[in-house]
Formats: sequence, C-alpha cells, structure tokens
Amino acid sequence: MLAILRSEIFKFRKANIWALIFVGPVIAIFAGLVDSGELPVNSWVYTVLMMNLVYAVLFLPLITGVFASIVCRYEHQAGGWKQLLALPVTKGRVFLAKYLLLVSLVFLMQLLYLGAIYLVGNMQGFAEPFPLEIIWKSVLGGWIATFPLIALQLWLAIWFKSFAAPFAVNVIFTIPTILALNSEKLAPFYPWAQPYLMMNIGGKVDAMFFVPWDQLLIVVGGSFILFFLGGYFLFNRKAF
Amino acid sequence: MKYVVETKNLTKSFGKEQAVQSLDMKIAKGEIYGFLGPNGAGKTTTIRMLLGLMKPTSGSIQVFQQDLKKSRISILSKVGSLVENPSYYPHLTARENLEAWRKILGAPKSRITDVLAIVRLSDVANKKVKGFSLGMKQRLGIAAALLNNPELLILDEPTNGLDPSGIIEIRELIKQLPQSHGMTVLISSHLLSEIDQLATTVGVLTKGKLIFQDSIEAMRKLAKQNISLRVSDQDEAHRLLLAKGIQTDYQKDRLILSEFTDEEIANAIQFLVQKQIAIYRVEEEKRSLEDIFLQMTREDQVG
Amino acid sequence: MIRKLIQVEFLKSKRKGFWLLVFLGGFGVVALQMVNYGVRKEYLLQQSDNDWIYYLMNISNFTPLALVLGIAILTSFMTSIENETNAWKQLIALPVSKLTVYLAKFTVLAFMLLVASLLLTLFTYGYGVFLDLGAIPYGALLKYSFYPFFASLPILALQLWIATVSNNQAIPITTGVIGVLPSFSAQNLPDWLIWKWPSLMNSWNEPIYYVWLGLGVGCLLYFVGMFDFARRDVK
Ligand SMILES: Nc1ncnc2c1ncn2[C@@H]1O[C@H](COP(=O)(O)OP(=O)(O)OP(=O)(O)O)[C@@H](O)[C@H]1O
Ligand SMILES: [Mg+2]
Repeated sequence: MLAILRSEIFKFRKANIWALIFVGPVIAIFAGLVDSGELPVNSWVYTVLMMNLVYAVLFLPLITGVFASIVCRYEHQAGGWKQLLALPVTKGRVFLAKYLLLVSLVFLMQLLYLGAIYLVGNMQGFAEPFPLEIIWKSVLGGWIATFPLIALQLWLAIWFKSFAAPFAVNVIFTIPTILALNSEKLAPFYPWAQPYLMMNIGGKVDAMFFVPWDQLLIVVGGSFILFFLGGYFLFNRKAF
Repeated sequence: MKYVVETKNLTKSFGKEQAVQSLDMKIAKGEIYGFLGPNGAGKTTTIRMLLGLMKPTSGSIQVFQQDLKKSRISILSKVGSLVENPSYYPHLTARENLEAWRKILGAPKSRITDVLAIVRLSDVANKKVKGFSLGMKQRLGIAAALLNNPELLILDEPTNGLDPSGIIEIRELIKQLPQSHGMTVLISSHLLSEIDQLATTVGVLTKGKLIFQDSIEAMRKLAKQNISLRVSDQDEAHRLLLAKGIQTDYQKDRLILSEFTDEEIANAIQFLVQKQIAIYRVEEEKRSLEDIFLQMTREDQVG
Repeated sequence: MIRKLIQVEFLKSKRKGFWLLVFLGGFGVVALQMVNYGVRKEYLLQQSDNDWIYYLMNISNFTPLALVLGIAILTSFMTSIENETNAWKQLIALPVSKLTVYLAKFTVLAFMLLVASLLLTLFTYGYGVFLDLGAIPYGALLKYSFYPFFASLPILALQLWIATVSNNQAIPITTGVIGVLPSFSAQNLPDWLIWKWPSLMNSWNEPIYYVWLGLGVGCLLYFVGMFDFARRDVK
C-alpha cells in the first residue's frame, strides 16, 4: 500500500504541475490585498472573509477536480491503466492510494492558504495578533469538506479519459453553490457549499467547526460515503 | 535525374541533440525506398520534416521538385502518409474517420469503400474505432494514407502490430503500387528482412546520419552472409579446413564460414565429407540488421 | 477549404457531448433561476419594482460563470479530439494550412457559444413569461444574452491557444478555473482584466464598450494564438 502511494507521489512530482497547489493561495493573497477598503470588524476576520469568498466558493471545489484528473493522467495515456493494474496491486489499493494522495495535496494547499492569510495580515500591518485557533479551524474544516468532492472527482477522473468531461460535471455541481449559499435553507444540504461553510469563520465558534456536527456528519459524511464507495466499486468493476 | 524527394543538408536539432544530421536523401520516381535504422535513429523525425509537420533546423526539402516550404499544400495533396502509430478519432467509426479526412482531400466518396476493402476493414467499417485492435487501427491508418491515391506514399513502420497474414497482405499491396499506380513509396522499418523483400533502394540511418544509400543489390552485397556448419567432430573439421587454408570461426557448437562464394562452400563441404566427417546442418545465417549496422558504423568510423 | 474544414470539425464533434454541453450552458443558467424563483418568488418580487430587469440581473449573475467555464470545457474538448490520439500529425499532413485548421476550430467554438447564447435568450424569455413579470424588455433581454458572448471572445481566443499548445490539459482547465474568479467578484477589479468583461460591469457603465473591446481584443488574441500554433512543430 505504502509502495503504491510512494509511486503515486513520485508520478505526481514528475508531472511538473504540482506547482498548481500554489495557484489558489497566491490568488487569495491578491484577493486579500485588493480588498482593503474600510475595515469594519476585527480586520483579520474581515480579510479572511474576503479571501474565502474568492478561494472557497468556486476555486476550491473546482481545483479538486483538476487534481483528480492529473492524478489519473498517466494511466489514461497510452494504456497506463493496463500497465499499472498488471503490477502486483489490487485495484482497491490503487484507488485508495490515489485518494490519499489527493487528500494530502488539498491539505498542503490549505496549509499554504493559511500561510497566505498570515502574509496578507502582516503586509497590511494588522494590530491584532494572528487568530491562529480560529483560522486553523477554518482551514481544517475546509479540508474535511472537500473529502466527498475529491471522492466524486476521482471516480469521474477514472471513468472519463478526457480532462474536460469530469471537469464539466464538476462545474455543473459547483456553479449552483452560489445560489445555494444565498439560501439558508438550501446551503446546509448542498455538498459543494460545504467547503465555504466550513471555512466561514464567525459561525458558531463554540462548536468544533463552523457548522453543526449533524450537518458535518450527515451532509459531508453521507456524501463522502456515497461518492467514495461508488467510485471504489465502479473502479473495481471497470475493465481496462 | 529527377527525384521525387530530395533533401539537402537536412538537419533537425532538439536543443543540443541533433536528431537528424546533414541528410541528403534522394528518392527517384517509382522506387520503393526502404528507410532503415535502429530505435531513435531519426527516421520518424525525417518523415515529419518531409510532411511539413516539423520545421528543419537547417537544410532544404524538395518534393516533386518543389520546395516544401513554399508549396506545402500543393505537395501534400499528392502525398499519403502514416506516421508512427496511427492517428484516429476513437469516438467515430472507421468510415467516419475516413470521411473526415476525405472531405479535406476532396477525394470521391466511393474511394472510402475502396480503401476499406484494400485493407480488409469493410466488415467493421461502421464500428467505432475505440474498439479496434492494434492491427485494425494500423490498417485504418494505411487506408487513410491511400485515400487520395497519392503519388508519394510515406509509411512509417506500417506493419507495426499486424498479424503475419496482414504483414504479407500489406507487403504485397505496397509491392505492386509502383507498377499499378505509378506511386513512389518511402517505407521505414527496423527490420532488414522486411525491407529486403520490398525495397528497390535502401537508406540506412543511424544516430541521425545517413550512412548508406544505394540499391538493394548493393546492400545485399554489403550484408555478406555467413554459413554455419554443425558437424560430428568440430575440432577435427576446424583443423582440417585450416590445413587446407580455409579460415573458419570456431564457436561453441558450430563453425562459421563467412564471406564465401557458393562454390567455395561446396568445395569445403565436399572436402569434409571425404574426410569422413558427418555434416549435420548447413545453415545460412542471415545477418541481423544490428550486425550490418555494426559493420556499417565500424566502416563509417574507419572511413 | 475553410468550409470543408468546418464540416469536418462538426463531423468530429459527433457523440462527444458538445451539444449537450451547449444546451446545459444555456438552460442551466435559467434553471438556476427556476429554482431560485421556485423557492422564494414572493421575496424576490418584493426586491424591485421592475421585476423583469431584476430577473434579468439574477440571470446575468450566472451567465459569465457559465461562459468562462463553458469556454474552458469546450476548447479543451475540441483540442482533445486531436491531442488524445496524436491526430494532429494526420490532420496537418493533409493538404491544409495550419492557419485554416485553427480558424475552423475557432469558428466552430464561437458558433457553439452563439447557439448557447441563443438558447439562453429563449429560455430566459420562456421562463420570464411563465413568471408573468409584466412588459417584456426585449432590448435588455437581448443585451444580457448576447453582449456577454462578444465580451468573452478574448477568453475564447486565449483558451483555444492555451489548449492547443498544452500537452497537459490541466493547464487550460486551470486557467479556466482562475478566469472564472474575476467574473464572480468583478466589482473591485480593474477594467482591463478580460475575465471581468463577460460580467458587463465597467466604470463607464457602458456594457456596449465590452462588445467592441471583446471583438477587438478577441481578434488580436486570436491572431497571436493562430500564428503561435502555426509556428510550432506538430507532435
Ligand atoms: N519532439 C522531440 N523532442 C525532443 N527530442 C525528440 C523529439 N522527437 C524526436 N526526438 C529525438 O530524436 C531522436 C530520433 O527520434 P525518431 O523518433 O526520429 O527516431 P526513429 O528512428 O523514428 O526511432 P524508432 O525506430 O524508435 O521509431 C531520438 O533521440 C529522440 O529522442
Ligand atoms: Mg519512429
């Protein structure tokens, strides 16, 4: 299992596009700097809210799909699936290794995003100390909320040979997020809105995360189980 | 002499590496030009340049006595090609694939049915290419190359992936193209045996350099053949032949006689039989392409 | 020749799901408002005294998103027809000029986007009539459906360029993802950013400027992409 994961990491590093994990945080820095108008509340909180708007609503869900497709790219080229699966590995482990790699990548990106927030605050010269605890919760929550999306995107990326097809599905699900977020009734139930909601500081701070536990378990957990198992079983049944 | 293809000093570099170096290739009309070379020799790179897919780093290319740079389109309308592995649109059927190219070429629609028959794909004409076997895709690629009844046919390893009967079919097909259609053919391969049965002229490329370019007869002379001998008593035979002034190469289980005429071989064997040595096997060892390359590159270095 | 090449592009785009995507683009944007108005029609009607314009504004919040991402998807699909099986070499070894091949692809893509815009107009009109919002402002309806199309031509030209020259389709898709961000939060961004244009917001308050700019800059980027494509070796 570890060997497969190491091989996956190696392939990803060699793909020369691991730099993509920097794209989001860099854009977020711009967003944080551009939007320095009046600073009403705690300036850290305001800045994070502005940066989240750019980073978490569309970018985060969309980029998970790009990552998923990259991770399957070698295999789709010139019969790579045959090559990989003819090695002494089980399909289930290959799926799991790819999934773990993706989850780790998004985690790294979230850490970079945390760094981006810190950087913006320092460049703006905020007086208040860096509210690490709140922002940490936000970054971690956003990460967890992408678990189901990553699972679905991996499923689709394995299924379709082309890059554009899984991305099209991703877009179709991600755009309505904006509408869902406008509605307090709908937002909690829409999986693609969860990254933003879980990163949205200023929710109920007393809870572990910024969304209630039952929402986390039912919506994020439920969609994760659905997408992960769906992808897992279909990958196992697919012939290459 | 008017050449169908003539390159002068053709060179292509990728960064520091020179994939093709000062190539002067000449192909006369009606010839089947066998383009030989080991992996990475630069065959495909040359062919890409001949088709205008890549721009030469330096040098010139004339096809049909026209400059490729200036008259690319008018030249290509008389050229059919298959470069490396065949290209195809997997979501379209064989017929639709050909239709996409036919539209651009302006060939008559009936030609699709013809070329499908030529490569024996008529039965699967309406199946998506996605489900084709390697050899079927290769056949489709050959069909595409024949679509416009070209005057110059360029095939890069066309028998790649074909089954034995397919190889023979395609070979027979290519063989008769010069007479029946007045085509000139450029065909690349790693296999001397394949070129041997087809080509009238041979060009050998190694490490980007054309180290041989002449008729197939000249090539055959160069590729002198060895005779291997298995006998009842190898030591004795070796000694006897040596005593008679016949040099043999002593190997573990056989004696190798190289560069002998038919007559000399006959004499040597007769002599051994007279000396009570039983002859088990007399085999001609065709030298592999690699051997000839080794020989040629050696000569290349010496000269 | 160009006519034939365009026919060939249409032939090749068969069964690839292009038209489904075109339909989803036009319909999806309106479908979101169907949900929106379906859930809280009363509330939305209270928000403004011109219900039609307010409805059009709601729709036009999503049009740029669909356009920018739709362009990224369609261009990547379009070039993957050749990229996936290395079919460029077969196509370019035919007696065609590379410039014409590029033009054919661009034309077909622009046509698909235009059809999507037309569908958007029809669905917007249809659902607007169904909602019974009063007198129909035809001018504004056409403006919000077609101006974004022209304003997004530079993005189309740029994405097509990136998609044709990239080995790895992750690159054009990522530029698409980045490009959608300005159209989502357009107000605070400078006007020269082409990704902002489909949102039609600018400091002059003159959406028509983006139509002219879109045509002009679109042409420019188109030519840059086309000549770069022609200059490169075919893989
Ligand atoms: N696009 C490219 N970029 C960099 N190097 C290249 C490129 N195409 C070919 N080469 C190099 O040029 C050399 C010749 O390659 P080419 O494909 O022409 O060989 P070939 O004779 O066709 O070999 P094969 O028999 O394996 O098909 C190789 O060393 C290869 O690495
Ligand atoms: Mg080759």
